[in-house]
Amino acid sequence: MNQPNQPVELVNPFSSGTPDALIPQPCVLVIFGAAGDLSWRKLLPAVYNLNVDGLLPSHFAVLGFGIGSQGDPDEWIRRRAADGIQRFSRQPLEQTHWEDFSRSLFYVEGSFNDLSAYQQLKARLDMLDTQFGTGGSRVYYLSIPPQVVPVCVEHLKAAGLVGDAADPQRFTRVIVEKPIGRDLDSAREVLRDVAKSFAESQTYRIDHYLGKETVQNLMVVRFANSIFEPLWNNKHIDHVQITVAEEEGLTQRSRTGEPTGSRIGYYEGVGALRDMVQNHIMQLMCLTAMEAPYSLEPDMQRDAKMGVLRCLRPLTPEEVDRSVVRAQYIDGEIHGEQVPSYRHEVREFFSQRGQPIPQESTTETFVAMRVFVDNWRWAGVPFYLRTGKRLPKRASEVAITFKDVPQVLFNAKPEVPLEPTVMTLRVQPEEGLSLRIASKLPGPKVRIYPVKMEFNYASSFGGKTPEAYERLLLDVMAGDATLFMRRDAVEAAWEFVMPILQRWEQSRSRFLPEYRAGTWGPLEADRLIESDGRNWRTL
Amino acid sequence: MTNPATEPYAAMQPRRVWLKDVEAEIARQLRVIQGPTGVPINRARMSNLVIFCRQPEQVELVNQQIPTILGYHPCRVILLVGDDANQLGQAPVQAEVNVQASLSEKDQLIFSEQVTLHASGSDVVRRLPYAVRSCLVGDLPTNLWWADTVPPSLAGPLVYDLAESAQQVVYDSIGWAEPAKGLLATAQWLPKIERTYAQARGRWRSVADLNWRRLKYWRRLIPQALAPASTPGLLEGLSELTITHGPHAVVQACLLASWIACKLGWRVQAGHVEPGVELEWQIVAARGRHIVRIQRLSEGPPRVTQVQVRWQQAGQARSLRMLYETPTRLAVVPEDQSCQRRTITVPEQSLSELVARQLSDRDHDPVFLESMAVAQVFAQTILSRS
Repeated sequence: MNQPNQPVELVNPFSSGTPDALIPQPCVLVIFGAAGDLSWRKLLPAVYNLNVDGLLPSHFAVLGFGIGSQGDPDEWIRRRAADGIQRFSRQPLEQTHWEDFSRSLFYVEGSFNDLSAYQQLKARLDMLDTQFGTGGSRVYYLSIPPQVVPVCVEHLKAAGLVGDAADPQRFTRVIVEKPIGRDLDSAREVLRDVAKSFAESQTYRIDHYLGKETVQNLMVVRFANSIFEPLWNNKHIDHVQITVAEEEGLTQRSRTGEPTGSRIGYYEGVGALRDMVQNHIMQLMCLTAMEAPYSLEPDMQRDAKMGVLRCLRPLTPEEVDRSVVRAQYIDGEIHGEQVPSYRHEVREFFSQRGQPIPQESTTETFVAMRVFVDNWRWAGVPFYLRTGKRLPKRASEVAITFKDVPQVLFNAKPEVPLEPTVMTLRVQPEEGLSLRIASKLPGPKVRIYPVKMEFNYASSFGGKTPEAYERLLLDVMAGDATLFMRRDAVEAAWEFVMPILQRWEQSRSRFLPEYRAGTWGPLEADRLIESDGRNWRTL
Repeated sequence: MTNPATEPYAAMQPRRVWLKDVEAEIARQLRVIQGPTGVPINRARMSNLVIFCRQPEQVELVNQQIPTILGYHPCRVILLVGDDANQLGQAPVQAEVNVQASLSEKDQLIFSEQVTLHASGSDVVRRLPYAVRSCLVGDLPTNLWWADTVPPSLAGPLVYDLAESAQQVVYDSIGWAEPAKGLLATAQWLPKIERTYAQARGRWRSVADLNWRRLKYWRRLIPQALAPASTPGLLEGLSELTITHGPHAVVQACLLASWIACKLGWRVQAGHVEPGVELEWQIVAARGRHIVRIQRLSEGPPRVTQVQVRWQQAGQARSLRMLYETPTRLAVVPEDQSCQRRTITVPEQSLSELVARQLSDRDHDPVFLESMAVAQVFAQTILSRS
């Protein structure tokens, strides 16, 4: 019935020309560092949730790679995944889903530095291609220390595990986690190293903040509502505050106070500027300040974000002193419980491991800063950025404070000053949006009171919002790079923070402002904003 | 969206009121649930959901779905019960109101309301579209769920009148009594009722068949199973496609066959019917002639249960089966026993969940319309034979 010897069509006719093209494609997800904390807490639970929700490709498997397994490697990673899912997954571990998920979960034990281990990896991947019909497509998730990234990508290429970016039949994509370098030079080195093995179109630099619903909603609110965009400029906006506040310190403890886990090994010497400002907060700022991209094409959106980074006013050393505050937490109380200082956590971490205890640490756990975007839209509008650990509560938000109304009418001689209109986009914990406006209190007298109009994702739309990692993993499998950072954006963000790092390095001061755990940061941060006649928002 | 974020908390008993008093009664019931302290309340309403049905058993079925729908998609429900067979009663449209509260994950009480409008007698049923207008919440999208067993395409002008203020019409082709007739009429009706934004600006409207939504996971699995990367040679040598379905799911199977035919550029040449057992079409494609077969099982769940593809490769007959491995998992069963099954989870697809998910999904679906155009040809060949 058929005519033989017709040329083989390379493109799948089912996936062309329809929205189905954005559906995740068959592949093997290879997690480098699968034994690590991120994999245990986030990645494996995210993949499990995608399985439960029916969002994974049918032709799919997960292969962990790294060191640290005990006994049979496949059984070990399955046990570890089950433990992570039970503790951290948004959906419970259910036997039927678990059986389906776990039978496609494997582990190859090997060192990132050992080329022969990559040959074993290749052999296993070839086998999985046959078993699961994944057709040679791969997503490599590099959940590994930044210093290992260069050798890892080099060995991947040397082992023949990186396909051609133009191959229409199969794809190879790599996900690179932050931090990308610890300064501009080292970031460029990492970017160069990755680029030796992977084309830019194959590289997905992940910032999980960009996978959160509210962050994506920022663009929708701005550009899908006609009332906001006309006001979104220096004529109507007084200032913007972006806050990423965390309750947690660097050490997790049991109820009895015993350390159960720690990020000190990563954080010490890195600090809040590199950990939060250079990536998450800068990205939030870009989404808040960017011009409207003329299409939803990934590169159009990323160009628009680059437009903001290019307009950031560079900081001179004097301006760093005036506009940037860093601090470190000392002991205090969170939710009525005593918590130790950062330096105590550092000493505890290194002494437990028998490693030399660093001199009194000057790593900042808090940063507040004033930034200007020098373009037509934002000239003169300060962006106040603040992030810290051991703050009173976990809260991340972007708050747009509009200018005061003229001092006539209700604002002529107010008994109580009118509070400005504020629009807040909450990133976490309760994703949503609120608008604070002035309203008349019921009664014969004209008394004005601020009221909040709230939109809460959960109560408005129902359902539980997927984790950011779930969305981002799906995007990589579908080949959509919109929510990932492009190389030029990474460099531009580093270029902006470098004068701050250099100034801090030059000052070599052992003095670091301190703030008590459970407070909103040091007095210096209050002075920074109060000197402009403004205040930090109460969250 | 995976699970509803709310759970039922309290519901007021339905109370019959005059149509003009509906809003006042909703406000009264809200105050009762609030209690004497009058605490601030959250009224979550994403849309107006207008539901039309006729038979008491349909009304009961719809009422069972509403709590779950509200958990996913909080909205004002306006349930229309049109008993046009009752020629004796010609009373005015009667309204019944009840307010329900559910508890969110954050322990917030979230309120929603249901208005049920009863119309007896064909003249009164025709007046329902006017009655609905006074009950809609302004500035919210309106969805019409046609829950009647008669296809909307065969329901006459009532569906057009009800759809006038709706941005989406949802119907369910499962269990249609005359599947081929229903498919043909619906394929011809769709271009009349569906209006793209480009055509109609503010009066755009999309149409969705829940049966098409049920096929979502088949439509996800088949491209992966048939992809040249995962099964080389299949598309080049394809000779036969057999879709097996349970009772009441022949339209679903036809929709799936139409979608595959549409994607692969097949043209129907001739059809053969063995009533209640098997439908068969001969297909002309770029690579030759194929057979498409739809087979009915005498029992089993009302859905497509298996898709089998046969093809020739290097002179050998080969076959690939896709089927429900468990009620919530579709699997590709490879010929090679040493290979793993390729699976995809099919989250529970109860009627209420399908409706709730469809309500938020108002995108114009050109693939559905293209597939329906092919289904029309399938249906025509069957009707011309019978």
